[in-house]
Amino acid sequence: MTDSALPTFIAESRELLREMEAALLECEQGETGAEAVNSIFRAAHTIKGSSGLFGLDGIVAFTHVVESVLDRVRANTLQMDRALAAILLECRDHIEHLVNAVADGKSDDVQLATRGESLLQKLSARAGGPAAAHTTASTTPVAPAAGHALWRIHVQFHAEVLRNGMDPLSFIRYLGTLGDIVALKLLTERLPGAEEFDAEACYLGFEIELASSESQQRIEAAFEFVRDDCTLQVRQKGTAASEVVADRREADTKESKASKSSDSRSLRVDGDKLDKLIDLIGELVTAGATTTITARKAGLSELNESTLRLARLVEEVRDQALKLRMVQIGPTFSRFQRIVRDVAREIGKEIRLETGGAETELDKTLIESITDPLTHLVRNAIDHGIETAEVRRSRGKNVEGVVRLDAYHDSGSVVIEVADDGGGLKRERIIAKAIERGLITDGSSLTDSEAFALIFEPGFSTAEQVTNLSGRGVGMDVVKRNVNALRGTVELDSKEGEGTTVRIRLPLTLAIIDGFLVGVGNSSFVIPLELVEECVELGDEHRSADGDQRYINLRGAVLPFVRLREMFSLRSSASRRESIVVIRCAGQRIGIVVDDLLGEMQAVIKPLSRLFSRIRGIGGSTILGTGQLALILDVTSLLDLCLNTRQTQAAPRRALMD
Amino acid sequence: MSKTAEIVDDAERRHDLNQYLTFVLGRETFALGILSIKEILEYSAPTEIPMMPAFIRGVVNLRGAAVPVVDLCARFGRPSAAVTKKTCIVIVETRVEDESHVIGVVVDAVNEVLEIPGTEIEPAPSFGASIRADFIEGMGKVRGKFVIILAANRVLCVEEMEMLTHAAASGDVVQPAA
Repeated sequence: MTDSALPTFIAESRELLREMEAALLECEQGETGAEAVNSIFRAAHTIKGSSGLFGLDGIVAFTHVVESVLDRVRANTLQMDRALAAILLECRDHIEHLVNAVADGKSDDVQLATRGESLLQKLSARAGGPAAAHTTASTTPVAPAAGHALWRIHVQFHAEVLRNGMDPLSFIRYLGTLGDIVALKLLTERLPGAEEFDAEACYLGFEIELASSESQQRIEAAFEFVRDDCTLQVRQKGTAASEVVADRREADTKESKASKSSDSRSLRVDGDKLDKLIDLIGELVTAGATTTITARKAGLSELNESTLRLARLVEEVRDQALKLRMVQIGPTFSRFQRIVRDVAREIGKEIRLETGGAETELDKTLIESITDPLTHLVRNAIDHGIETAEVRRSRGKNVEGVVRLDAYHDSGSVVIEVADDGGGLKRERIIAKAIERGLITDGSSLTDSEAFALIFEPGFSTAEQVTNLSGRGVGMDVVKRNVNALRGTVELDSKEGEGTTVRIRLPLTLAIIDGFLVGVGNSSFVIPLELVEECVELGDEHRSADGDQRYINLRGAVLPFVRLREMFSLRSSASRRESIVVIRCAGQRIGIVVDDLLGEMQAVIKPLSRLFSRIRGIGGSTILGTGQLALILDVTSLLDLCLNTRQTQAAPRRALMD
Repeated sequence: MSKTAEIVDDAERRHDLNQYLTFVLGRETFALGILSIKEILEYSAPTEIPMMPAFIRGVVNLRGAAVPVVDLCARFGRPSAAVTKKTCIVIVETRVEDESHVIGVVVDAVNEVLEIPGTEIEPAPSFGASIRADFIEGMGKVRGKFVIILAANRVLCVEEMEMLTHAAASGDVVQPAA
């Protein structure tokens, strides 16, 4: 088999192993459904089959035993319970290690092999031995008296087989996993004389007698990869196939049909290709904007019309392309089932993970980058959040703690919540610690949320003892930094004695946003459109009073505002008319005063150089239709900036943030 | 790559190593090694970035990428010259370890590309030069005069400039412009 297929095998196996894990965890929680067992069996079976093709005997041997046990569970001769699920989970991990070893190119690790042995012993102690598994499997009502039908397989490989990168031996090896090879005869009639012998051609054929309970289809399927490169004949010899076997064959066909139809609906695409496509669409959006502007200048109505149609199409293409990158967060959440189970066991707490909003979609790169911070938060919740069983009992809570992961869309961003029903944060302890660490001098004037925000400061940790899991003083600040790097924010709610909720707010995508273009003097800025609520004109009474009053009456509500010109110390003088863009962000409403409202646009985000990594209030840049660059406002940090400015004005003291 | 190609390539490289672009800042002539220069653009006003120190002029659009533009006069602590017809933006690529940075540099005028052999380059004077000594790679002798060969990696050191921009940005926070 070619090496180029190996990465696919590894990727596929890992995916199957993930499914297997999810199903096993379900079983372990006592929800043993036929669907779960089937999916575990299918995963094991497929991995065994594929690794046979690659001649990975170690994986085949180990997985075969696991598969036999699973087959008995499927046939209801063995009961799936917590203990068995736990052992199977360990077996799954072992298969994963084996696959990883193959990926690292170290498939003959002695340590792994011994671990495999001991696991199999454990499994057979619970399920009654691999050999026993075999016999019982064949006497189950599903395949009774199938008693290893004898098959005669005649296969003549074509000369091209080796050149196509196939190894005939691997197929025979794989046959060995379907049954016992009783006899094998090498057919050498086609071998030419020494002078005509081509070392790269295959001249061999085989006649194999196979004792197997598998269907004809399954046996033929073993040669699927060389179907075009060999002449194959599979005939049954001797024993008659019983009706039940026929039934089973039918069932198998149905099963494979079902899995095939779901296969054909999805397609595995290289991530780099997608990125390239998104890049190109970004350029297309920019080019389209240039065309629209030129057309408007030319004043040809037909041209205008067609550019509008083009713009609409480009917009649709963009949306579809971005959707290609969107994946559901569910699989990421289910990975935490395992982490919660293992960590909770390690520290002896009873904890259940609940998840919600698994179908919420977000950008794939975001999901990848958010996994680490999430893991940290979940571990934190288990380690520090949830109390020990005794404490919980004494507080009249359910002994079993709950960690909850939730995801939902909220006004153009995705919110991921990590909540626990543990002890909550103790305000006094946080303030005491912050003073001790020199982060603040006096905590009495802080609001609760300001106090809780302190735990995101570098070098802050409230855990009294350093455990294996967390509490080394690095942590929450790293979480905050990682989330900020994704243009997201972190906030925290906590009630002492009732629990803590950490909320991560992320943008939907990293590549393109809908923006609202505004002008101040000669500069243009883009405000993310989803944050804009409305635009109102700034009345004259506020314009002349350039002094203290920085709020207007917006239909009876107070709306504080900032002047972008002052905020960014832009040199241009104020224009005759000014407008307020009303923005809602993180539950607050503020106004941003600008000179011109230039309308909606699609902004392809171009990251700024590292030189500007510490800049606040600006999240990136984008290219306007004219080829000029405009800056994209980062409203969250702009808001922070305003708040800090206010605080320093009111009572000069050390800024809390950064 | 074949042996001959390697030799040719090597010779070309050595040849390029001795090539410098000279340009004018104020009344002085400076030089930059040609290998670090990607291209020279006609001056177009960069997009200003708020709250940046004077030596950062802003960003320009270089075929779809936002490239920061540095005012060398300001970086050397001198007043910036007015923009004229001759003003150019020289796009320079610096490499620190594995990271490469593309930065534009505003110069008053570009002169020529010329060869300065190693024997014609004197070490930087320890004092007396008009700019920081560590910015100077060497003093090249061209037609009986000295031109200052700049050390691009230090003049355009991203770490140093990043710290300066950060200081400027947070300075504005403490004392907001009224």
